[in-house]
Parts: sequence; structure tokens; C-alpha cells
Amino acid sequence: MKTIVRNLLLTLLVLIPAAQATGPSPSAQALAFTCAGCHGTDGSSVGPSSPSIAGMDPDVFVDAMLDYKNDRRSSTIMKRIALGYTDEQIREMGFFFYRQQLRNRPQVTDPELVALGRKLHDAHCEKCHEGGGRPGDAGTLAGQWMPYLEHAMSDYLNDERPWPRKMERKVKDAIKAEGERAIPALIHYYGSQQ
Amino acid sequence: MSKNKFVSPIGLLIVILCLFGSLSTHAMQLDTASASMFSDIPEDQEGEELPFTFDPETGKRVIPDSRCLDCHGDENEKTDVRDDGTPVTIYVEHEQLKASVHGEQRCTHCHTTIERVPHRKAPHVAVGCVDCHETTWEESKNNPEIESERLEVVLEQIHGYMDSVHALPYKHDQSRTNATCYDCHEAHNIGELGSIQRKEQRLKNPEICGRCHEKELEDYRDSDHGEAVLEHGDTDAAVCSDCHTTHEIESPGKDKVKLAITENCGDCHEDAQRTYFASYHGQVHRLGYTNTAKCYDCHGSHKIKGEDDPTSEIHASNRLENCRTCHENANDNFLSFWPHGDADDRENYPGLWFFKIFMQLLIVSVMAFFWVHVLMWLYREVIDRIEGKGLIEDLDNPEVVYFRRFPVVWRWIHALFAIATMVLILTGTTLLFSHTDWAKSVVRFLGGPEMEGIIHRTAAVIWLGIFAAHLAIAINNIWTNRATFKWFGSTSMLPNWKDWDDLKGMFKWFVGRGERPEFNHWTYWQKFDYWAPFWGAGVIGSSGIMLFAPETTAILLPGWMFNIATLVHAEEALLAAIFLNSVHFFNVHFRPERFPMSTTIFTGAIPIEEFKHDHRLEYDRLMADGSLDKHLVKRPSRRADLAASFITSVLIIAGLTLLTLVLYGVVTMPS
Repeated sequence: MKTIVRNLLLTLLVLIPAAQATGPSPSAQALAFTCAGCHGTDGSSVGPSSPSIAGMDPDVFVDAMLDYKNDRRSSTIMKRIALGYTDEQIREMGFFFYRQQLRNRPQVTDPELVALGRKLHDAHCEKCHEGGGRPGDAGTLAGQWMPYLEHAMSDYLNDERPWPRKMERKVKDAIKAEGERAIPALIHYYGSQQ
Repeated sequence: MSKNKFVSPIGLLIVILCLFGSLSTHAMQLDTASASMFSDIPEDQEGEELPFTFDPETGKRVIPDSRCLDCHGDENEKTDVRDDGTPVTIYVEHEQLKASVHGEQRCTHCHTTIERVPHRKAPHVAVGCVDCHETTWEESKNNPEIESERLEVVLEQIHGYMDSVHALPYKHDQSRTNATCYDCHEAHNIGELGSIQRKEQRLKNPEICGRCHEKELEDYRDSDHGEAVLEHGDTDAAVCSDCHTTHEIESPGKDKVKLAITENCGDCHEDAQRTYFASYHGQVHRLGYTNTAKCYDCHGSHKIKGEDDPTSEIHASNRLENCRTCHENANDNFLSFWPHGDADDRENYPGLWFFKIFMQLLIVSVMAFFWVHVLMWLYREVIDRIEGKGLIEDLDNPEVVYFRRFPVVWRWIHALFAIATMVLILTGTTLLFSHTDWAKSVVRFLGGPEMEGIIHRTAAVIWLGIFAAHLAIAINNIWTNRATFKWFGSTSMLPNWKDWDDLKGMFKWFVGRGERPEFNHWTYWQKFDYWAPFWGAGVIGSSGIMLFAPETTAILLPGWMFNIATLVHAEEALLAAIFLNSVHFFNVHFRPERFPMSTTIFTGAIPIEEFKHDHRLEYDRLMADGSLDKHLVKRPSRRADLAASFITSVLIIAGLTLLTLVLYGVVTMPS
């Protein structure tokens, strides 16, 4: 009996520090493990409907997460996920992904649409999404999964996602210039980049 | 080994795990603490190059200028549309910015409210020029490695701006000022001194001010200044800030601004300002008052044009109306007044030039002669005293017998005359030397130029009244004694050959070639002192009366007489002020035989020995005819002597003070 009591006490000694260890925030890397299922290991997505977030501007990451958290952006599961983190944790995760190397995967694109997309991008999108849409302060477009880009553009055009300032005008200028081909062309252009 | 005495293997494992758990927990806490101590930004992985960075000190995003210029440097898209649909110019000419004084600054150095690009919200453009310049100055003023001279100038301008009407809240929107730095300065194009940017900015100045001051710009466009600047690109012609100052902008209704604008005209129109300051209008202005005509009162302000333009305010057909703004009853004679008459310009103003030359020759010759006379006399008396000659007072046996030299009426007349003259000198020379601080202080003390004018005119009336009363008494005396009065006799004030001989005799005595002459009742220097006011009364009095009431004077005399009257009035007054307070003081008070003063003019009595020394011929004559006793009096009472000494001392001190102020004014007179 004494042995049982002693072992129980020793077990408590082990559990108390373990319980204390859950207090402070886990490392950003540990927090980011949760994202790997959809956004790929270290943020380079392998699935077609989730964007790559490796190399993403930390402020853009934080903006997106806070928008999910505060119902400013429509989502399926991202709101629930975002609600699980404090603002500080989101910030740390943002910097974690910011430091990750983006590894794009090849996608099948139409060269003609790619060429048209480049032209439209240069005319209407380059000032904000500089470097052909490479990771920057306006987000990441280059190398994103094309199905994701289609979903995202659809959300914008169907008013299910608020337009960033000036973007609506620019996108509609592109559509005005090239009609229905404009959006696919831009998506093929961004999807073509490695 | 008993189970009760030793820990089982399972228990030992639990203890090790327990210790490890505790240690790792503490280690994790320490790591977290140290990371947050050093920076808010999660640490970078070593050696990894990042596409954009954050300032490790402030945690703020570092936005490179190139990122701003993606949009703001696109010359094909210089404008954008605000969220409300209104157009806005967003273009910044980068090369121009690089060449400006702020070329080394990053965009976000000034645009501190911009934290993200592309702008997530409509950017709030707020640039704290004042704060930045004050901080920069504080950091650099004691650092010899930083060129701070210009920064100090900028800071002075900033302080001027902060006190200006532009820095006050805008009436219709209290959240902003009437104008701020970049409303006037082209924010991205502030050139260094002497740069082309500065010249370009100068030409833009009227249009910039005209954004708010539309009516003024419209008037300015029509002016000679506006035509030169806006149509011909003449950077030498006046723009708004030349007259209104750059930063210390105030309402033009304020005296300070009126004075500044008038002063600023002279930056270009130097001769016009010099001659203006020589006029009564300009003298009052220079004293710091605005109740006389200023440049723009006659020439107009924003619509200013040359005199040949029929729409000009100084065109011959408009000028009289202009004069009547102040001089309501001005007649055509006012048109012949020379508002910028230049006494140094012989070609255009020969009359004025002649009077100036004449008056200056008179001043120089009179003063040169009498100052030489003073110095030689001083020399001779000092030498004589060293040698035990001349009049040396016996201190052990003070004089008890005095000679009655002046009756009461003359003593009063002299006292009032002296006081009135000193008041006239003080109030008059404040105008003549309006450039001096003492003149400004005196006028301020007196209550301004209007009060000063009243005091001056009152003193002038008293002075002329005394002069007239003296003439009446003198004429009456001559008439009463007409049976015995000899016009050139020993008691007459009229100059005679004896005076000429005495003058020569004195110079011989000065140089040790003769004895001191013996004099009658009046010496030649006393006669000069007596007759000089006659000349002075003629010149100063007549010119003063002309200036007293210009509109009445103009009924009879042409306008240019005011120019001559102003000139001779001032020059003659200057001569009188210097002569009386130096030569007359020496002759009467300061020569060694009299030093420190003679109180005879107030007691009316002179010690008999002194009388005998200075007026030997009269003494001998009176002794011979036995009438000396009739003129002898007792020594003045102690009280009378003290009173006379006091009054004399006050007048001497006042006179010497005036002399000092006048000489200071002469020496510092702007050329």
C-alpha cells in the first residue's frame, strides 16, 4: 500500500511540471505543424485547393488570419482554426512561414493564356503584386495552385470576399480589356511560374 | 535490500522524468523571456536572405523607396482616384527629389504614417516637418561633424511660421491650419540655396499663394511685378514672399506687417527707400509707426504699376487723389512735391542739392572754425594757468562784490529759451535720427509721433514767442534810450570793427603772440551766440511754419518747398544743437576760468574780478564815469546760488546728453 501511495506521489511530481509546461506558448514551428495537413510541410502546399503560404509576407498572413477570425473573410474551416490561436501566436506563425522556402510544383498551363496573363499582369497587377506576383507585401500569386486561384477569384467576383483596396478596379479593367479570358489568363500566368 | 528502504526502478524513472520535466520547463521559459527582451520580431535564421525586412529597433516594416515609386514614380500614371472617386496626383519625380535638400531621406522618413504598401486604407498624408526639423536640430546643433548652419536658419523660419497666421487653425475646419509647410513648399522639390529648383519655386510663388488668396493673385497678375514674373519669368521681380515675408505672415492690417512690407520694398528699390526714409513719411515709419504714407499707400499694393500707366495710382492724373487720402485739402501744389526727392541727385533735384550743399558747408565751416577756436582757447588758458596768469580765484577770499549783468527779464527769457530749444532738439532729432534705438525709445516714451509732434510744435511756439518778446523788449529799450543809444557803441549787440580786432587779438593770444584782448560789455563770441538764433529763427522758424500746416502752406507755395523746408529745418537744427551744446557750453562754462560752470545767466550777477577780467573796457569806462557802483550788488544768497547751480547743472547735463545723442545719430546715419 505504501508503495502504491509513494508511486502515486511520484507520478504527481512528474505531472505537475508537465502541466506547467503547457502554460507558455509553444514554438511557432510547433504551432505551424497544424497547418501542414492542408498547406504542406513548412507552408509549400501540395494540394490544389490550399494556397502555399511559405515565404508569405507576415503582415499578409496576419491580415488573413485575423480576417478569418473576425468574419471578414469567408471560409470553410479557417475560421475555426484561426480562433484557436492568440494574435501573438498568429504573428509568430506569420514570421515562421515568412522564413520558409517556397517550393512550387509544376502545373499544366496554356502558353497562350500564360502570355496573355503576363501582359495583363504587367498592365494591371504588377504595381501591387510586384515581381510577377512573387511573395511580397501584397501576398503570393506566383506558383500558387491554379484551382486555389480560381476559387479565390471567384470569391472576389461573387462578392464573397472583400476586395482589397483598388483591386476591384484593376481586375475589372483587365476583364474589360480581355473579356472572359482575362481571369483564366492571369491564373495560368501565375500557375506557370516556378 | 528491503522494498521499504529503497526506491523501486519505476519510482527512480519517475523521479528522473520529474527532474527533466522541471528543468526543461524552466529552460523553455528562459528562452521565451530572452527572445522577447531583445526584439519583438521573431529571430531570423542565420544566413537566410529575406526579400523584405523589418527594423529591428522599432519593429516597423522597412519600405524601400523603390516600392513607393512603383506607383508614385510612374510617369504614365501620374494621377489616381481616391476612394470617393475624386482624382489625385500621386506622381513624384524621383530625380527631382534626389536633387533636393531631402534627397538623402527615405520616403517613410517623412511619410511616417505609411506602414504598409500597397496602402490597405486610404493613406493619411501627414508629414511632421516641424517636429522632424526640431528633432534634427536638437541632435545636430552641438555636433561639429554635422553641417547645422542651414538647419538653424530653417528652424528660425519654422518659429516664424509657428507664430504666423498660417499656423492658426483654419476657421472653417479647426482640424487643420490655414496653411502648412507643404502647401507652399513643393514637398519633393525643395532646392538648395542658389539652385535652379529655388528659382523655379520663386516663379511659382504667386500661383501657390493664389490658391488661397485668389483676389490678390488676380490683382498681382495685372501689376508690373506680376507681368515680369508670370509672363516673362523674371526671377528678380517681386513675388508675394518678397513683400509679405516667407514665414512670418500676418494680417496686412497689423502695424508689424505694414512696417515689414514697406521695409521689404527697399530690398529691391534701394534708392526709393533711402529717399523715402529721408522724408517725414519715412522718418515716422522708421521710428516704428504707420500713421504716415508707406510705399503701398501711394503706389498701390498688388496692382502696382509704373507712373506712366494711366491706371497706376501714381500716374499724374491719379496722384492728387492719392495725396487726399491723408491730406484731405491737398491742392494742385501737392503734385509738385518730390516724395522721393534726392538731395544728392544734382541732375534731377538741383534746388534740393544746392540747399544741402549750402547747409552742409555752413555746418562744416561754422563748426570747424569754432571747434578750432575752442581748442586753441583751451590750450592757452591751460598754459596760462600753469604759468599763474589769467583769472585765478582766491579761494581764501571769496568774492563778496558782484556786478549786475542781467536783469530778471533776460534771465527768464534765457531759461525758457534754453528749455524750449532743448525740447525742440530732442523731439526734432528723433525724426532726423529715426534709425537709432534712442530715437525710437524717446518717441515711445513720449507716446508716439503724434504726441511728439504736439510737443515739438508747442515748444516751437514758445520758442518763437520768446524770440518775439525779446525783440519787443529790445526795441523798446532802444526806443526808450534813443537819445543816448549808440548803434555801434560799447553796449550795443551790433558787431563792429572792435569785434574783428578782438577776434584777431584772441588768435594771437592763443598762439602766444599777444596779450588777451580787453572787451567791452559784449564780446564777439557773445554777439555770435546772440545773432545766431536770429539766423536760426529765420531758417528753422520759417521752414518749421511751412511744415507745421502743409495744406495751408500749399495754398501759397509749390510742393517742392516742403522738400527744401524739411532739409534746411533739419540741417539748421543740427548746426544749432551741436554748436550750442559744445561751443557755447565751452565759451560760457567749460573753459578753465569758468569750469565747471557759470551761473551768471541765472543769478544775473558776475563776481567783480571776473567782470573786470572779461569786460575790462566796460569796467574802466564805468569807473571813469563813476557809475560802477550803480551796477554793483552783493554776492547772491546761498540759496540763490544753489538754485542757479542746480538749474545750470541740469541744463548742462541735458545739453551734453543731447549732444551725445545727436553725434551718435550723425555717425550712425545710414549712407
